[in-house]
Amino acid sequence: MARLQSVPGVSALIACLALLLIWDALARAFAVSGLPPPWDALRQLPSLLSDPETLINILASLRRMAIGFFAALACAVPIGLMMGRSATVAALFNPLFMVIYPVPKAALMPLIMLWIGIGDMAKVLVIFLGVSLPVVYHAFQGARAVEEKMLWSAAAMGLSARARLLRVVLPAALPEIMVGARTGVVLALITMVTSEMIARQTGVGNIFFTALDMAQYDTVYAMIIVIGVLGFACDWGFEAVRRVAVAWAEPSHQIAVGSA
Amino acid sequence: MARPDRNQRLAANIIEIAAVSKVYDTTSRGRHVALSEISLDVAQGQFVSILGPSGCGKSTLLYIVGGFIEATGGSVRVGGAPVTGPGPDRGPVFQEFALFPWKTVLGNVMYGPLQQGLSKGEAQARARELLELVHLKSFEGFYPKELSGGMKQRVALARTLAYQPKILLMDEPFGALDALTRKHLQNELLEIWERDRKTVMFVTHSVEEAVFLSDRVFVMSTSPGRIRKVFDVALPRPRVRAELLVDRRYQEMVVAIERLMDEQERELG
Repeated sequence: MARLQSVPGVSALIACLALLLIWDALARAFAVSGLPPPWDALRQLPSLLSDPETLINILASLRRMAIGFFAALACAVPIGLMMGRSATVAALFNPLFMVIYPVPKAALMPLIMLWIGIGDMAKVLVIFLGVSLPVVYHAFQGARAVEEKMLWSAAAMGLSARARLLRVVLPAALPEIMVGARTGVVLALITMVTSEMIARQTGVGNIFFTALDMAQYDTVYAMIIVIGVLGFACDWGFEAVRRVAVAWAEPSHQIAVGSA
Repeated sequence: MARPDRNQRLAANIIEIAAVSKVYDTTSRGRHVALSEISLDVAQGQFVSILGPSGCGKSTLLYIVGGFIEATGGSVRVGGAPVTGPGPDRGPVFQEFALFPWKTVLGNVMYGPLQQGLSKGEAQARARELLELVHLKSFEGFYPKELSGGMKQRVALARTLAYQPKILLMDEPFGALDALTRKHLQNELLEIWERDRKTVMFVTHSVEEAVFLSDRVFVMSTSPGRIRKVFDVALPRPRVRAELLVDRRYQEMVVAIERLMDEQERELG
């Protein structure tokens, strides 16, 4: 395995090839119209991706995903940090999050649509909710684990409580926040697709489920590949940012990311 | 003539701890008296050690002087003013180093001066000067995770000295280091201290360390934590370890304190 990992991307390539072979074998064995062989799906990709309609849909999806993701970070990080440093704030928010956590966020779509219509806002809001919880949780854990003595050192230098939260707790919790945000990226993609399944107008999910309704299974599987690649690209991009942003951190956080 | 004499004494004592108590009311284990009516004064420019077994509350006392935790009784005055919270006049150095891991060595040492309103250039100059003092000049671009324990503690000391506190509060600063590094850092600390003789309050459980470094040693006993005895260390400075080891006065004091601590242990036993 050591030699295999020495060339970047080789192990991923082998895993993809293996998946295609299994897919191919299953498609041959069952021979149902709902499971076309991989080659049929792959053949759809060039025409699918050269259609400007598809690209507009993908971009619309990514736009909503980005807005929901960053809005969630902007709200969830401060809440999580304050929960981690104040027992009162934690006692206030904890029950709320315990109730919200097990509810599938996409299941709230119909309700949200009743409130604010079926437009972009409803989908962004669902993505926002999906991303918020893991980020709140990890920011909370990160803030709680900040060494007391580090805060005392800052206090002795004259940093106020607010300055300590912003300039000590936030950077100290950043590695842990990044773990939550990485989970958030994946959840953003999942909630994005499901939100578009429920409110179909534009987006990756729209193409996917419309094709499914029309029994265009080649397109359905081509879209699965597209969504998979999107997920991989988002995660890869995020990981590249994370590596630079918290390069200073002790390796324990890297292990945590690997298992997240 | 009693009045001016008293005033003079008050002015000379930079730290005045009067009948300080710390009681924890826990739901699970009831009332725990960590510190009971501690009174001690520290003169300006003195190096004092608080020596005691673990759990005697010696660190707690230091944290109260630092303003990091509150006493439940008594009063602490620093420079004549009551302590109400942490402040840059009292610089802590902790056993855990407590460096900012996201800052480089230079960034850590510059942090205090920048907070005090120095320009970036001025802060950098002061930080570099202190890094030279602790022999870490070539490590200014390193992150804390890349340093050994001894180096981390040197950075922590430089970081605290950088904002020029009047008092150093050292909480078992060399407790997490190996014996050899510990000796090196004790020597370095004394060298640095000889330059401007800041007031130092040094918490340790090592008898040799306390006697080697200090002008006075306060020996504490445990549960409840109180001052058992005070030793004045009348050994000449600057101190050289090899000379002290063969000095009768040093040996006798170490033995006397060891005996006292053994006695204490037996009483508890």
